[in-house]
Amino acid sequence: MLAVLSQVVWRRRLTLLWWSLGLLGLDALLAVAYPTVRDNGELDRTFAGLPPAVQASLGLDAANRLTSPVGYLNSQYFANLLPIVLLVFAIGLAAWSISGDEASGSLELLLANPVSRIRVALERAGALVVLLGILTTVAALGLMLLAPFTGLTRGLGGDRILAAAMATGLLALVFASVAYAVGAATGIRSLATTTSASLAVALFVIEGLAEQVRALRPIREASPWHWLLHSDPLRHGLLWEAWLLPILVSVVLVGAATGAFARRDLR
Amino acid sequence: MPGLQQEADDASVGQQDAVRLRPAAAGTGSEVVEDAIACTRVTKRFGALLAVSNLSLSVAPGEVVGFLGPNGAGKTTTIRMLLGFLNPTSGSCAVLGADLRRDPGLRRRIGYLPGDFRMDPGMTGKDLFTWFGRIRGGVNRARVAELVQRLHLDSSRPFAALSKGNRQKIGIVQAFQHDPEVLILDEPTTGLDPLIQREFLDLIREAAGRGAAILFSSHVLPEVERAASRVAIIRAGELVTASTVDDLLDRTRHRLELRFARPVPGQLFDGVPGVVAAEVDRRTAVITIDGPAGPAMEAAVAGPGLLRVSSASDDLEDLFVGLYESGREE
Repeated sequence: MLAVLSQVVWRRRLTLLWWSLGLLGLDALLAVAYPTVRDNGELDRTFAGLPPAVQASLGLDAANRLTSPVGYLNSQYFANLLPIVLLVFAIGLAAWSISGDEASGSLELLLANPVSRIRVALERAGALVVLLGILTTVAALGLMLLAPFTGLTRGLGGDRILAAAMATGLLALVFASVAYAVGAATGIRSLATTTSASLAVALFVIEGLAEQVRALRPIREASPWHWLLHSDPLRHGLLWEAWLLPILVSVVLVGAATGAFARRDLR
Repeated sequence: MPGLQQEADDASVGQQDAVRLRPAAAGTGSEVVEDAIACTRVTKRFGALLAVSNLSLSVAPGEVVGFLGPNGAGKTTTIRMLLGFLNPTSGSCAVLGADLRRDPGLRRRIGYLPGDFRMDPGMTGKDLFTWFGRIRGGVNRARVAELVQRLHLDSSRPFAALSKGNRQKIGIVQAFQHDPEVLILDEPTTGLDPLIQREFLDLIREAAGRGAAILFSSHVLPEVERAASRVAIIRAGELVTASTVDDLLDRTRHRLELRFARPVPGQLFDGVPGVVAAEVDRRTAVITIDGPAGPAMEAAVAGPGLLRVSSASDDLEDLFVGLYESGREE
């Protein structure tokens, strides 16, 4: 049962440990630094003077000042640092899942066994979800455990932190699905990584610019960044756009790419 | 002459066997079903490149077929079509009577060794054997231990830390560990030292003895000679010839290196029947013989103190010169 999925998770257990420790370290740093930020009203005035687009891209507005727990965590963590860490982890793993392993020659060896291509592809996608899920949960739990000690929970429940982390993990899942899909359909790892990473960067930039550039707004509606940042899970919890849309898009991408992978020539 | 009679018999047997392997037309439908491995008029194009052209090939249970050809001839492409990694442009490939792409479960009964064997570099041989055992429906630990011991493999070190030969041994163990009914081996002896090569050839013979169908590719003749009963020779994507090993050895040219006690006269082999080329360099002569070696040996014995005779080359290209010419005549 799930011999392909469990092998990936088992082989990556040390990698996962290092990434988890890194994120926990980051969580600790954020928590420890918060009291200093909270007591610095000057910071709020400085950030309030920034253009709305920049503020929005940091997850700040009039209601969410930098010194509030929500404003602090959005601007320092959930709107940038955590997504970047999760994106790097997930895109790398997703590009490896089919195309990276195919280029290294070991995918062919696995496919000489009594497993269909569809099973290998879907179990590898499943392994990606499991590993990304664990890492996201670790990031949330670390913050939930450390935050109460430094006042970060003032007006902010642990469920909101968990919701924000999950929404961020789902954002990473969408772009990982792009990498997975391009890799599975073409077998070219570099194409998988660059397509996904540049799409993530481009949509992030558009998300910031769309505050001022009206023409960009329709694009923004289709952007995972918008689903995450606009729904602001740290304030509102997990709204449907922050979980349903990413899951739908990922399922479609993985499904279509798995079909293409099952039919094409291996490289 | 009894010798000649024997030769003629062998040749006729060879002709009959060869029919089963000849490209196109000759094979009838009913034969294909019995064969454990069967390619039928298969063609593969990569864009403008014609990698394999109208190739038919079959291996019956208990049979060892050597798939011989220079690098880049289309051996690996054919093998990868057999395993379902590549879609044929036309024609079809079947293993155990089915297309492996449609029936992946059949791969439980197949052992495959890729030409360039690579695995997760952090995994050990032991990890791989256990994992693949699980996927194939159970690990035969006793068999794995036996293979590891016979090939002198240290299966507890990660793949990345192993030499080329030891990596290849892992590939061999994973292909043989479940005693498959079909073995498809792409250049299996690459990197193995001669002692292990011999052990490997024993493994092949044992597998054939219990009824496995074996196709193994190579670009050198001697190992095919030792293990296979039939050979299929491919060149530039086309099957050049298919016959028994005995027949092949009778038909092909061979080269001998002769060492003499004193300098060899340049014209020593002139006009000797069967000698198609002779290069003389002081006390050494390298001669290419087409047909019986008797007259050339008589000439050598009459030379200036024959010291030793050795096979000068097992080069496939030499072989092809003869095969191509005889192929055109047929």
